[in-house]
Amino acid sequence: MTIPKGQPALPVDFNLESEVSEIEGRDGETYLQFTTHMVTFYKQTYGEHSRFFMALRDGRLIGAHCSQCKQVMVPAATWHCPNCNFAEMTEIDLPHRGVLAYTAPITIFPSASFLGDAPFARGYVDVATEAPIASFLPSRLRTTTGLERPGIFVKGTEVPQGLRDKKPLLASELDFTTPEPPAVHKDAVKAAALKEAIAAMRKLAGDVGKSRRAQADLAGHEHLVGVNTGGGDFSISVADSRFSIVEGLSAGAEHTLVADDPEIFTRWVHDGSLTDAAVEGTLWLPHKEAFQLLPILDRLPRSTRRDLRDEKK
Amino acid sequence: MRKVGIVGAGITECRGRWIEATYWELFQQATRRACEDAKVTVDELDSVVYGIYNDIFEHQAIPESSLTGLIGMANKPGTRVTSGGATGFYAMRTAVMEVASGVSDCVLCVGGEKATDCFDPRSKSATPMVIDTIAKSWDPFYEYPLGATASDSYMQMCMGYDDTYPGDISDSDVRARMIEILCHSGNRNPYAQRREESVTVDQVKASRWIIAPFLRLLEACMYTEGAGAIVFASEDKAREIAERTGQPPVWIRGIGAANESYSPGRGGNYKPLNRIASDRIAAERAYQAAGVKPSDIKIIEAHDAFVAQLMITMGELGFVPIGKTRRLIDEGIMLDPKDLADDEAPGDGQLLINPSGGLIFGGHFVGGSNMFSTWSCRREMINRQIPLGLVHGTGAINACFGGAMVLELDEGGAR
Repeated sequence: MTIPKGQPALPVDFNLESEVSEIEGRDGETYLQFTTHMVTFYKQTYGEHSRFFMALRDGRLIGAHCSQCKQVMVPAATWHCPNCNFAEMTEIDLPHRGVLAYTAPITIFPSASFLGDAPFARGYVDVATEAPIASFLPSRLRTTTGLERPGIFVKGTEVPQGLRDKKPLLASELDFTTPEPPAVHKDAVKAAALKEAIAAMRKLAGDVGKSRRAQADLAGHEHLVGVNTGGGDFSISVADSRFSIVEGLSAGAEHTLVADDPEIFTRWVHDGSLTDAAVEGTLWLPHKEAFQLLPILDRLPRSTRRDLRDEKK
Repeated sequence: MRKVGIVGAGITECRGRWIEATYWELFQQATRRACEDAKVTVDELDSVVYGIYNDIFEHQAIPESSLTGLIGMANKPGTRVTSGGATGFYAMRTAVMEVASGVSDCVLCVGGEKATDCFDPRSKSATPMVIDTIAKSWDPFYEYPLGATASDSYMQMCMGYDDTYPGDISDSDVRARMIEILCHSGNRNPYAQRREESVTVDQVKASRWIIAPFLRLLEACMYTEGAGAIVFASEDKAREIAERTGQPPVWIRGIGAANESYSPGRGGNYKPLNRIASDRIAAERAYQAAGVKPSDIKIIEAHDAFVAQLMITMGELGFVPIGKTRRLIDEGIMLDPKDLADDEAPGDGQLLINPSGGLIFGGHFVGGSNMFSTWSCRREMINRQIPLGLVHGTGAINACFGGAMVLELDEGGAR
């Protein structure tokens, strides 16, 4: 990764002011805390792994093969077999497809370095399926059906290995960006449920207007998102540390979410979770970008409740 | 090898964050309490073994250097051990070996972590940076760049297990009931981080996904700041100290450890993703060394990073069959501490599992968590007069580090 000229090496939002602030301990006493960081830059060598990554650059997936135990190690982390007294291993070409060794976990709550990346699936792919002994290739798993969700990446699933946009690689041949949205089934029950959901969301929007914590949750975010449900459509607008609900699909919406059952929005207001709805599939999202707003919205019911409770005290 | 006993133990209160103390003070507090418990002065301690997992948490690359003088260990040998989640276990193993070999008569083993000073400026909270700091334990070539974390890698192993043994750990009611029991245990531990909490089955099942579909928020261990210390002594020294304290020594009857390969795969020496082979091998070695069977043991302090993993671990340790670990709940094997008086031992067919509340309700200050478990196991063995106990530790990618230690209450057993 190259850092563009004139830009700081760390993202601007990492550049906290260097300061010493006061913080109250559990004992009621005042303590000091200082803002600091621990960052190291690297020009890290790939060393013996270079061969594997150079092959990848050329569109080849290679493994290390041991002629004694017949094992295949991929990625080729060593060229001397640890099972056979460090016998010399040879390079073999592996197919660009394999079988998911075991059902893959989906990360919903990522680490700081991967905020914005969730949800994502990381799994192990058995590519040297012919070998009697073989390592699994650690892989990021993607789907052409929208968000990564449980039930997609199950044990035994055949996965084409998309090795970035290099021929004869497959990533560029797959369309990850325009998944087909699911159809909703409209009926009167859902229409009534939507009415209830909109009333609940508007009540929450009003509470946000009185909640410092909730406004802090929304600060700096600006979104207009359409929602298509079995009870009708509405839009969520986030601006100026507030949110509002507009009936119908607003022109200029960034994207449209789909939920056959609008009741998930009522549940959200009552401390449910839109994030969970997305993971469980009751709320369909076209892409990861659409996911990023959900954890923020999920915080609002709790934040408003805490502020209202504090106010009562 | 010489016989080795535990003669003292001390822990700090487990907190989500200690504003009032840095790890310097926390390590000293644990040391102070362990010395008080053993009625020894630091002059009687020949050496120290430190358990500190991650330099990034402490924000210092040789964190033990600043502790040496403060915990009274100036001019004595000191070894730092770091082995992921199993750091505490491996530190204790090192201390035990030091006494068993005859090199030292009395060794302090102190471990801890100060995890939540980490701060993520984008989410304006600690947790994503804490997760990232742990994720830095994964290699920079293959795993870390894919977004690997402790939770996702433990869940990968759990999902591999579920693929192979369906219907066991996948029942969220069983897992939630285990959480409820651990919560009741945590309520009884005056040092537990979540001792005031009351968590029900329904709350567990309604809590948010961390890693779908096996890990909800209330099924995971915590990030804790704290420290724990254990004093190990040779047989002669232990008996002498026991005279002073009136507390029976708790002997290390057997200890076993195993680390699996980093890479998962099929056959050979690759890590099988559907089992915790490290737990099984470590436990077998500990039982062999101790000359005991799992059925001789009634109390276990296991490293419960995640409740689904705890179920598998209980299978690997030999207490329930692999594939049928849900029997812990279905057959009432896992005792609810509410059903047992404080000085009562578990009956036949019953197990006291993590009476400390475990790492889920008690605390998880990584470098010293297994000392926390040992502190609790010893305490319960003495209070309830349980002759044998087991302490377990796990760590690293896909649960590939494992350790187990069989403890034995001195035959005198008097309180």
